[in-house]
Amino acid sequence: MRPVAISVDAPEVSENLRKKQGYAFTFLSDPQTEAIRRYDLLHKAASPEEHDISRPAEFLVDRSGIVRWENFTEDIRVRPRAQQMLQAAQSLHW
Amino acid sequence: MPTHSVHASLCLPVPDQSQKQSNRMLWAGLAFLLLAILSNVLSFFRLSPALLPWVIFALPILALVFLLIGLVRAFRQPQIHKGKIWGSIVTVLAILLVAASTLFFVGARKLPSSGGAPQVGQHVPDFTLSDSTGQPTTLAQLFSASATAGAPPPKAVLLVFYRGYW
Repeated sequence: MRPVAISVDAPEVSENLRKKQGYAFTFLSDPQTEAIRRYDLLHKAASPEEHDISRPAEFLVDRSGIVRWENFTEDIRVRPRAQQMLQAAQSLHW
Repeated sequence: MPTHSVHASLCLPVPDQSQKQSNRMLWAGLAFLLLAILSNVLSFFRLSPALLPWVIFALPILALVFLLIGLVRAFRQPQIHKGKIWGSIVTVLAILLVAASTLFFVGARKLPSSGGAPQVGQHVPDFTLSDSTGQPTTLAQLFSASATAGAPPPKAVLLVFYRGYW
């Protein structure tokens, strides 16, 4: 399973974060909220500067592009733990 | 904090005009209330780590207890504790503050419904987005190679949308 992080942050911002935290996974940048809107995750004016951002959401997608597991939080402070997502991935038959 | 005066107040001394003092309980309550709001702000903007979850609930409760004691004292002994008017004003102000900050923090956490998001069993929409090195990347490309060179291509991709502004 390959984790990919997507946000409105510019590539440089994500690269900074990636280096600082030592993350090896891919960060994708969606400043125009194209993918975010296509996935219906737009959270209007929710950034500190009141720009549109993504609501938190996780999709586990298989090779045929089909969602096998997903998670939407109702509270931005509550996110799935890595453990939960790994378990979700392991419990599925590929 | 003037917690020692909790016991003093229970002895209900005979009202004496010369002992006129401000109602410390009310002010302590107000102070706890401001701390409670501050702790919410800190936690909301992720400025402070793990300590906070219980503080967020403890502080407003402490604040309300002090305010209640203060209000009771103000009404029982208006001669000493600056009277009912001040007590009521401070309490109403405090309750308004609680209401406003609760509304703000509840409102700020409200998330859009995302009814149109892809469901389990459905195809996800494709996309082309820049990775953190500026390289345009499609969903198909995410499946074709692993993030770490040499590893086999992944069976699945976990798309984690997050709020950003890190």
